[in-house]
Formats: sequence, C-alpha cells, structure tokens
Amino acid sequence: MGGYGDVQLLRDDGLRLDGRKIDEMRPVAIEAGVLPAADGSAMVTHGLNVAVAAVYGPMEAHPRKIQRQDRAVIDVRYNMAPFSTSDRIRPGYNRRSREISKVTAEALESVVLVERYPRSKIRVEIEILAAEAGTRCVGITAAAVALADAGIPMRDLIVGVASGKVEDTVVLDLDKAEDNYGQADLPVGILPNTGEIAFLQMDGDLSPDEFNLAMEYNFKAAAEIHEIMVDALKRRYEGGEN
Amino acid sequence: MVELVPTLLRQELARLAEDDLRLDGRGRWEGREVTLETDCLYNAEGSAKVVMGDTIVYAGVKFELRTPWPDRPAQGSLMCGAELRPVAHRKYEPGPPSPQSIELGRVVDRGIRESGCIDMESLCIVPGEKVWGVMIDIHVLSDGGNIFDACGLAAIAALRTAVVPAKRFDVGEDYTLKVNGTPIMSSFTRVGGRYIYDPSEEEELGGDERIHITLGDEGHLHSLQKGLRGVFTPAEFAEIFEVAHLRCTELRKLVANQEGN
Amino acid sequence: MSNGQNGAELRLVTPGMAIGPVAGKRVGSGAIAQNDTIIATRLGWTKEFNNTVSVDPINSAYMPRSGDLIVAVVAEVRNNLWFMNINGPFQGLLPMSLAPWKVEFGAARQHMGIGDVVLARVQEVDECHNVVLTMKGVGLRRLNQGTVVNVPINHIDRLRGEGNATVQRLRDASDSRIIIGENGRVWIDGDAEGTAWARQAVALTQASGHKTTFEAELSALEQNAPKKGDA
Repeated sequence: MGGYGDVQLLRDDGLRLDGRKIDEMRPVAIEAGVLPAADGSAMVTHGLNVAVAAVYGPMEAHPRKIQRQDRAVIDVRYNMAPFSTSDRIRPGYNRRSREISKVTAEALESVVLVERYPRSKIRVEIEILAAEAGTRCVGITAAAVALADAGIPMRDLIVGVASGKVEDTVVLDLDKAEDNYGQADLPVGILPNTGEIAFLQMDGDLSPDEFNLAMEYNFKAAAEIHEIMVDALKRRYEGGEN
Repeated sequence: MVELVPTLLRQELARLAEDDLRLDGRGRWEGREVTLETDCLYNAEGSAKVVMGDTIVYAGVKFELRTPWPDRPAQGSLMCGAELRPVAHRKYEPGPPSPQSIELGRVVDRGIRESGCIDMESLCIVPGEKVWGVMIDIHVLSDGGNIFDACGLAAIAALRTAVVPAKRFDVGEDYTLKVNGTPIMSSFTRVGGRYIYDPSEEEELGGDERIHITLGDEGHLHSLQKGLRGVFTPAEFAEIFEVAHLRCTELRKLVANQEGN
Repeated sequence: MSNGQNGAELRLVTPGMAIGPVAGKRVGSGAIAQNDTIIATRLGWTKEFNNTVSVDPINSAYMPRSGDLIVAVVAEVRNNLWFMNINGPFQGLLPMSLAPWKVEFGAARQHMGIGDVVLARVQEVDECHNVVLTMKGVGLRRLNQGTVVNVPINHIDRLRGEGNATVQRLRDASDSRIIIGENGRVWIDGDAEGTAWARQAVALTQASGHKTTFEAELSALEQNAPKKGDA
C-alpha cells in the first residue's frame, strides 16, 4: 500500500470521501452477452471500473504441451487497456498482469468442471477498459458471468470483492484514493452459494480482528453482487422458456 | 490462426454477386447501422465507442509530456496504435502485436496524421524542451467484420473530444484539443468477384482483397491501403472512390451530430 | 411437483443455484448433487422427467455423440485420411476406409480438398474426445452446392420441431432442401430467393428461438415466403 497518514480519507461525519458508508460498496451494473464474436461474454461496471470478459471454447488445447489428458486448462489473460489508467500503460504483458492472470485462472479452475473436457482449453479474456481500484475483482466477476453465458459447466459462480483499511478503519470496496493511500487491501473471490473462497490476495497491514471484519464485509458484498450477476444472466434470456 | 473457408461459402457469395445480392440482404454499397458514443471511458482524455453490426471498437486518447525530436523542436507528436487482442475473435492469438494489428494502427494513423487535422506546432509548450505527445489507442473488442472503418471512426471521434490535461502535468489549465477536420475511412472488399462496402465477418471470410480509403472534409485522399491477396483495375477503383465520398460524408455527419448533443 | 413426473415448473437457473433436495431423485445433465441438494452447473432451464432432475443449457458447445448426423468441413488432408472441422472443440477424423469412394493411398486429395463441405456421421467418440467420422451410409456425401448456416446447439430441436414439423414448414415455404446437422450447421439448398428466405427463418430461430413469441414470428415470416402461393 502507498504512503498513508498525510491524506484524509474519512470525513468528520464518518463517511468516506465519496459519501459512502464504511460498509457500502460502489454501484455495480452487469450485462451478459455483450460481445457478438465470443462464445460467452459480460461487461461489469463497478464504480468507475469497466471490465469486459470474453470466453472462447472449449477448444483443443494448443500447443500440445499445455494439454492435460484428464481435464481442461483455463487460459486467462487479464489486460489493462492503454487508456484505462491516468498514465497510459504501454501495451503488452507485464509482471502484474501475468500474476493476476495466473491466480485468476486457478480460481476459475476451482469452479469450472474442468474434468468434463480433457485435452481442451477454455480461453478467458479479461479486458479492463477503465480502472479505478479493484480491477482484478471486477475482472473475476466479469469472467464468471462470461463463463456461465458461454454454457460452461461450473459448480458455482465466483464473485470478486475487496475490503481494506483506511485511517485504521476497515472499509468495504476501496476506491482509487483509498487504494493509493490506504493501509491494506484484501481482494477475494467468493463462491456465493457454497461460501467457499477461490481467490485470495492481500497486502498492507491488518490485525486478526480487522481481517475478520474485512472478510465479513466481503461476504456481504459478494451476496449483493451475486444477485446482480444472476439478474444479468437471466435478463439475457427473458421472454419465455427455451 | 488461419480460418477455414468453406468452399460452399465462396460459391454462395459468387452466386449472390451475380444477382447483385448480399448474404444479409444489404445493397452493394449499403453499410450496417453504426452507433457512436463519445466520452465513455473514465481515465481517457478523449474516448469513443463504435458499434457497427457485430463489430465493437473502443478508442481512448492519452497525453504525455516529452522532449521534441531534435529536427522538429517546435512540434509535438501524434501516434495511433491498434490492438487486435484475442478478446476480439477466436482467430486472434495471444502474443506480440501481429502484422494485422500493426497494419490496422498504421492505416488509421496515416489517415488522421496526413489530413493535418492536428497542428503539430500547437502541441508545443516550450520549443526544444517540452511538447505534448498525443496517443490514440484503439481496442477491438469484437470483430464482426470491417474493423478498419470502425477503428478509423472511433479514433477520430475520440480525438475530437479530447481534453488536454495540462493541469495534471502542471503546465496550465485544461483545454479542448483543437482538431481541424474529420478524416473518415471507407473500406471495400472484393466479395464474389465484385467490390462491396462494409463487409460482414462472413463476407470477409469468403472474400478477397480489400481497399481502405480515408478522405478529409474536402474530399481529398489522405490515406490508401490495399490489403490481402488480389488485384483490381483502375475502373473498379474509380467506382468505389465515388462511393467512398458518399459514405465518408454520412459518417462525418454522424460524428458532427454526436458532438452537437 | 406433486405428481413427481413432468409437472415441475420450468425454472431458469444459474451455476451454483440449488434446484431442490435430492430426495431419491436421479441427477441428470447440467446438475450435480452436493450434500443432499441438487445444484445447477449450467445456465439453463430445470427439467424433471422420469424422476431425473436436469438442466437444459441455454448455450452449449457441440459435443459429438456416435450416430450424430453432422455437416463437416475438410480442414486437413493426409495421404490416407481427412481431418474435419465439426464445429466442436476437436477435429474429427475420416479415414480412407470410411469414405464413400474407393481411395488409393495418397489420392485422398483428389476426392476432397480443404474447405469442402460434407454430410457425415459420427462413427465413434472416445473419452479423450477422439472423434472418428464415417461417410458410408445412405445420403452421406460431399455437398457440392447450397449454403451452410450456423445455429446454436440448443436451438436445433426447436428448428426441427415436433416430428420435424418446423423444418418441413421451412422446406415447403422456401422450396429448398434443408438438412440439420447435430453440430449446429444447417445446409440449405434452393434457388436464390428460397435460400434467402430460409436463411431469414433460421436467423429467426437464433434470435427468438427461446421466446414464447417464436411461433407467431415464424408464421408472420411464412406470409412472406417466396412459395406461399403454391402451398
């Protein structure tokens, strides 16, 4: 986490700079099936973050060396568009996006019934069009909706959410200033129906009690976002039985 | 990945061409419906989204402060790049920018640059020391055919809404970038033996070479590109050149209407 | 659900959603049992039939089964076999011995080249997705004319209709030959007008196949069919 102490992040009335309560998340909107060329897709707007995910496959895994004889591999690319941040990002892979892609793929492999598709690959492309803190979580949510939209069998969805700490206070869903000047960030990927956790990262400084409170906030937010995900998937197919 | 072209598709396109028909029922010079949205990306200094049939493209403008090239001490710079990332279609593979991505970015870049719509000297802050570098990044999210025109349109529309972030860089107050003109691209592909405007994904798959024409406000040519395997005659070019004027004028109106709102 | 047969109401579910208690029911496709609860694994409609609970997926990749009639495209030719694109995750293999012609070793290319479209049947599929195709059988052949249109796998039954009634309506209205491949590829062969109409009708099933208004929309389209007067 960045330097802290010199920037005021909580107002005197106890609310946050953008007027949110400490356990309030930014507004979330989700649309499924936004990309005609993809087998499944989703766009998630979370605060000012915009993430788009596309799913292609299952298809034969290439090159051969990545093939698994007993299951499918999930090939995730998390990428920030050059114009998604205030300073332009040079196109191409970097260490950060590679790490996020790896752990996101492993999180998704934990819910997708990969053993149904031996020797296959499922491509998940996550593109961040606008970034305002928390993009990896928004990307995970988008990927989960896109996978469901593509008809990929999964034992649950995954919801990406984060809590953190600013001015020694645990808050839900850090925005950009809170992410830059806060004291901790705890992004997780929660399986909304089983309550299990498939994605976990953290940096900063949290006491055991603060961790527990942050997780409590995360679960609360996951339940709210899950409803929006389900609604997005159902809306795509409203208008009668199949 | 090289896409498989079914023999039947080429046969069908040739048969339709004989009756002057198209797969989706459009006329030969008829484009798909285009929607344009601007100022749609937080963090970009100018942005646009173009939807053209099944094609979806975003463009974002960013600025940076840099030292000018020694031979042009009083001029800023403009750069336009495109990324054909694997999100856009099953046929695009991960890896370094493909020749197609580079061609796409450079063709759009030339059309905007050569139209002279950006006065490079207006991007100078301190001659020999500090100038603005303007970067237009184009991001193709869904390739449903004719991404060139969609990218060209998104790029110029984004540029025309750009606000120079002078305050953030401590060189004065923010101001709207001055853009003198709206260069527009029109693309034509040979399908079933004859040229058509605004090819769909299937028409591109079963088609041959393509020609991209960028025209300025006065109807002058600013960039041309012939791509893919095939040849054409001067008479064929004369025909599509005329159509290009009409289509470019329509799209330029679309940009103007969007700005009027 | 009181009658325990097919009385269960259709319900749109998302992956991870609980459908109901196992309670002696069998778990079908698109669902799994977890701690005595049946959980949906796919986005789709729940179905209960013969005491089996399953989810009919709304979107699905083509997974070949032996016996499927499919429309395939030659992707690769070797001396003694063809690799076929079957619109699924894996290519299908057509050995020389299962081609409809007597093929000399090395002469495969003379019979079918890359891009050629064929009507084939899935001979066998193993658990590792190796797919063997055959073109020995009535009607299996190279398709030398006509056009191929793609439809989502889950719309195929709808396009076919009860006892093939819907596809027969399209054939009559367009005066075209229409063959539905299980792999989501539909072959249409008619004159220009008929083909164009059939394309529209197939596109309609893609856009509205899952809606209750589908039947009405199809009837309206039939009013504009090129061969309406002959019917």
